[in-house]
Amino acid sequence: MSEYNVINSRASRIDTPDKSTGRAVFIDDMSMPGMLYGALLQSPLASAKILSIDTSAAENLPGVKAVVTAKEAGLVKYGVSPARYDETLFCHDKVRYVGDEIAAVAATDLETAMEAVSLIKVEYEELPLLLTIDDAMAEGAPVLHEKYPGNVCAEVHQEFGDVEAGFKESDLIKTQTFRNKRQDAAFIEPQGCLARYDPSSGNLTLHSSTQVPHYVQRTLAMVLKLPVGKVRVVKPYVGAGFGIKAAANPMELSACLLSMKTGKPVKMNYSREQVFMFGRARHQFTHTMTTGVKKDGTLMALKHECYLDGGAYSSFGIATVYYAGSLLGGPYKLPNMKYDGYRIYTNKPACGAQRGHGGVAARACWEQQLDIISEELGMDPLEFRLKNMMVTGDITCNDLNMSSLGMRECIDAIKEGAGWDAKKGRLPKGKGIGMACGFFVSGAGYPIYRSDTYHGTVVIKLTEDGGTALVYTASAEIGQGSDTTFAMIAAEALGILLENVRLESGDTDFGVDLGAYSSRQTLMTGHATKEAAEDVKRQVLEVLSEELKIPAEDMDIKNAAIVFKKEKPDFSAMRTRYIKEHRGWSDNPAEDDELSFREASRIAFLARGSIVGTGKYKPHELGGKFKGAAVGTSPAYGCSAQIVEVSVDEETGKILIEKVTDAHDCGRAINRTSVEGQMEGSVSMGLGEAMYEEVKFDGKGRVINSDLAEYKIPTSLDMPPVEPIIVESNEPNGPFGAKEVGEGAIMPTIPAILNAVYDAIGVRIRELPLTPERVYMSIREKEKE
Amino acid sequence: MLLPKFDFHAPATTEEACQMLTELGKNAKLIAGGTDLMVNMKHRLISPEHLISISGIDELTKLDSSDSVIKIGACFTVADLAESEEIGKKLSALRTGARALGSPLVRNLATIGGNIGTARPAADIPPSLMVYGAKAVLKSSTGERTVSLDKFFRGPGLTEIQANEILTEIQAETPPPYAGAGYINLGIRKAQDCNLVNVASFVALDGPDGIIKDARIVMGCVGPIHLRAPSAEKLLIGEKPSEAIFAKAGAAASGDCTPIDDFRGSAAYKKAMVEVLTRRTLGLAYDEAKYRG
Amino acid sequence: MKKLLCLNINDKEYEVAVEPNQTLVDLIRYELGLTGTKKGCEMGDCGSCTVIMDGKPVNSCLVLAMQADGKKITTIEGVETDDGLHPIQKSFVEKGAIQCGFCSPGMILSGSALLERNPKPDEDDIRKAISGNLCRCTGYQKIVEAIKSVNE
Repeated sequence: MSEYNVINSRASRIDTPDKSTGRAVFIDDMSMPGMLYGALLQSPLASAKILSIDTSAAENLPGVKAVVTAKEAGLVKYGVSPARYDETLFCHDKVRYVGDEIAAVAATDLETAMEAVSLIKVEYEELPLLLTIDDAMAEGAPVLHEKYPGNVCAEVHQEFGDVEAGFKESDLIKTQTFRNKRQDAAFIEPQGCLARYDPSSGNLTLHSSTQVPHYVQRTLAMVLKLPVGKVRVVKPYVGAGFGIKAAANPMELSACLLSMKTGKPVKMNYSREQVFMFGRARHQFTHTMTTGVKKDGTLMALKHECYLDGGAYSSFGIATVYYAGSLLGGPYKLPNMKYDGYRIYTNKPACGAQRGHGGVAARACWEQQLDIISEELGMDPLEFRLKNMMVTGDITCNDLNMSSLGMRECIDAIKEGAGWDAKKGRLPKGKGIGMACGFFVSGAGYPIYRSDTYHGTVVIKLTEDGGTALVYTASAEIGQGSDTTFAMIAAEALGILLENVRLESGDTDFGVDLGAYSSRQTLMTGHATKEAAEDVKRQVLEVLSEELKIPAEDMDIKNAAIVFKKEKPDFSAMRTRYIKEHRGWSDNPAEDDELSFREASRIAFLARGSIVGTGKYKPHELGGKFKGAAVGTSPAYGCSAQIVEVSVDEETGKILIEKVTDAHDCGRAINRTSVEGQMEGSVSMGLGEAMYEEVKFDGKGRVINSDLAEYKIPTSLDMPPVEPIIVESNEPNGPFGAKEVGEGAIMPTIPAILNAVYDAIGVRIRELPLTPERVYMSIREKEKE
Repeated sequence: MLLPKFDFHAPATTEEACQMLTELGKNAKLIAGGTDLMVNMKHRLISPEHLISISGIDELTKLDSSDSVIKIGACFTVADLAESEEIGKKLSALRTGARALGSPLVRNLATIGGNIGTARPAADIPPSLMVYGAKAVLKSSTGERTVSLDKFFRGPGLTEIQANEILTEIQAETPPPYAGAGYINLGIRKAQDCNLVNVASFVALDGPDGIIKDARIVMGCVGPIHLRAPSAEKLLIGEKPSEAIFAKAGAAASGDCTPIDDFRGSAAYKKAMVEVLTRRTLGLAYDEAKYRG
Repeated sequence: MKKLLCLNINDKEYEVAVEPNQTLVDLIRYELGLTGTKKGCEMGDCGSCTVIMDGKPVNSCLVLAMQADGKKITTIEGVETDDGLHPIQKSFVEKGAIQCGFCSPGMILSGSALLERNPKPDEDDIRKAISGNLCRCTGYQKIVEAIKSVNE
């Protein structure tokens, strides 16, 4: 039996009845009276000078209400990290990728807006194209951004310990290069927004399918030069984001600007093609790693070099290039690590953050290399990992603190769950089994802009009648189940039932919350929720204490009733008072009922007025003092291990994933079903990236496969059974011991598949995705050797 | 994604549709399931002034297998094809092809005529139909003609259908005893995929343990149209079926195809896969033929 | 020029004038206000616009409104019963088969069309039946479990 009444259960999510009936409102389901429709003019060329822009024909088209370009928008630079603000809302001098925004139109209907866009005349002078890292780094290559010579958007050079000394002590040193492909998040809901500027008050409200209302609010205020107090961002239900919706986009800014120009609400949507054009998803990484180990399997050193094909702007890239190195600090004891990372500008859509930010390809490269090493050492790959595994309390060479780490428990769980010992080394040719581990942050240790801000604030107000706790949080439910998580935490901490909680989220008017990225909300917003609930509970018990003349600490609230730890006092006067107020009501308490939370909180209101509790959270100071030390820090780390079983058709190269066994340490599961949902979803995204997914370009920098037919994410038929095993380590820095599951769970999937494929066919494949052709060609090459 | 503007017509009979087509000429396009046409129109690859919907014409949605010639109306849906027991019994490879097409949602709209008429070299339906020796019936206001599918395709998106003609029916003979066919498509995903290579094979034996008296192999994705594999077919005829002869035929078929490199795959890989799939589909065809007395 | 069309949606008769180039999904969402039907790709690739037309689930983004003339259509708004959530909706809620919820209307309709013709489908039947409905959140497992358990 769980020691908890609400959390740690399989409660149904509070948002899903509406989502199952079509009642849940997503951005494109919204409309407003007098609403206009916006459309963007995006560059058809990947690299060109803009010689002139003529909007007159568009402006003269009947139905067009506003046309805006850089002239109207100004040239305020923005982006994700203030250290790399390199975008303006509209291009004025040159375009840097196919899709770069040049103008926006608002009209009475979408058809007119689109036609107006087609009437805008832009004269271009084509410039040389840089589509690959090699092109962009070539001697004398033109630069995309004058401020960044050599097209190096960001570079990182770090060394922890002494790598050369580590190699000297090593008995075996291996070097491998590995490359993934540019990915798309392929959330099913394209980005959309609805902006409403009220000229009489100067208030701007943006409804948007965003995962970060807070950052969008700040970006709107900065770029549009509005007082931030006049800017409100509200998130309806969002059809997932996976990192791509974690920053303001040019469509949101355009809709706001058009609404400011016209005084009317303006709605805009990306088509699926525009989702691909906008990009901001997983980079293409090229990793080269050299790892040294002792004969007994002790890891000694890792030298790591990585190049990221960044696209035309920074987006999250400066964090990505750091994460690609720092997230290899764990979960193994690694005394010496050197990392050199380079993010390079190219004339393609910008890449950004996507589930497992920066760490996924690095993890795939290294976990495959660890398999190669364990094989050469004659060690079982699972034992090899166990030998090097960190445990709770360990600190990595780059100062990441494993305040809880159930990695060993995860490995034990999958070993047993998959029947590893009976299968490893015993399967016929063509069948294989492989494993890998991974870990990830439970929220970035620092906000994206430098600040002492709280990362999350929560307000809980009890309804004055005493029946319900209203939770207000600016956090972002984007499908992961955070609304339910916080409602459960509030109920547990306050001692009431889940049905006694009503929650509103995703509105910047509710407070500060940095939003849904870096797997931060459960831990951070969860803390703030718990604190607010405890604050409310304290106030209710204080009033009871005054009224009943017993110390507050002798009382508690559980299951929506007051618990008297010592002698039960006489609360009949209080009850009589309550019942008097509710003459004729059918749900009044009976004489020998326990004192209910409803009565107690009504009495609290009568004594003090509205009962409002507040909570806040920011992490304690984390990490080392070196440059870039902030990236990778977190109050806690989730971790996972997976075993994948495959069969390979050696004649066609086609891989069949037969089963995945997945264990994840989430600290404490607030909602067990939601934790499994994140694990299963992560496996599916990892499987897609490993097997099918690649954004492809033609020679002009245009995306060839900008649809969900040719950009292939797994269908129901492609997904194997996944056995999710929840491991709970009880994280000291987490609310009720909870930490992340949303992103860490993707880490082991790709390398576990790679290792299983090797086990099946004896071929190491060092480039994704594992299409039948790539596997087939790898087998044939191996045969030639 | 908005569709370009057009006028819409829904004739009640084939004759009426033919009449409209004659009057509206090149400015009109037929629409049946629309799963291909709508996508092309949204991409503005085509913008016809008139769409003539034929999916509501009853006679075009019928399946008649009472005779030795199986007649399938052009608007018979791929979903119905995939579920039809009659088709499964008589033209099993066609049913396999139907089941491989797109997704259940697409199959519920897409029609057999559409999958042929759009003439995509990767399409799932034509290879099986071709190995069964199927024919297309083309109607116009002035008459009707029947064209073998072997001669029907002219290039990617191009067919024998003239501007005033409607593909109304597909006809295929019930295969003789001891004949069988197989179809395999190779793609990336298991649903909603565009094939990398697809092959259908047909063999007819002269008895349960007899020699191969007829063989047809059709390859998709490896030429501008679906291709027959003449040298592979020739090599099989008169031979006793065996894994060895099927392997030889596979190698020969690989020589018969003319794939190109594209973003889905290299020519070399496609050639190699034609070899594998030809051998495997011959195996399937033989397995069926043995027992179809 | 607009044309008149009659159709039955969720047991209600509609007579509407539409532009010939209007798709069924746009008619349902923007003219009739039934916004439970979603648009994820508009090319027939994702299945979030699934509706049941004459008993069969289809991509309503690939159907012209005019082609639905005289048809009987069920959207997600028509699934709920007088007693509240339909058993398949309950099952989706209870099994955790819904995350972001954008694919859910289409999934539920594909699932209920399957259960209509096969009340006790096995896992393979279910995976095939929903293979035109893409989900990026769940990995499908809990969706399959939810459909399977409706009549168990």
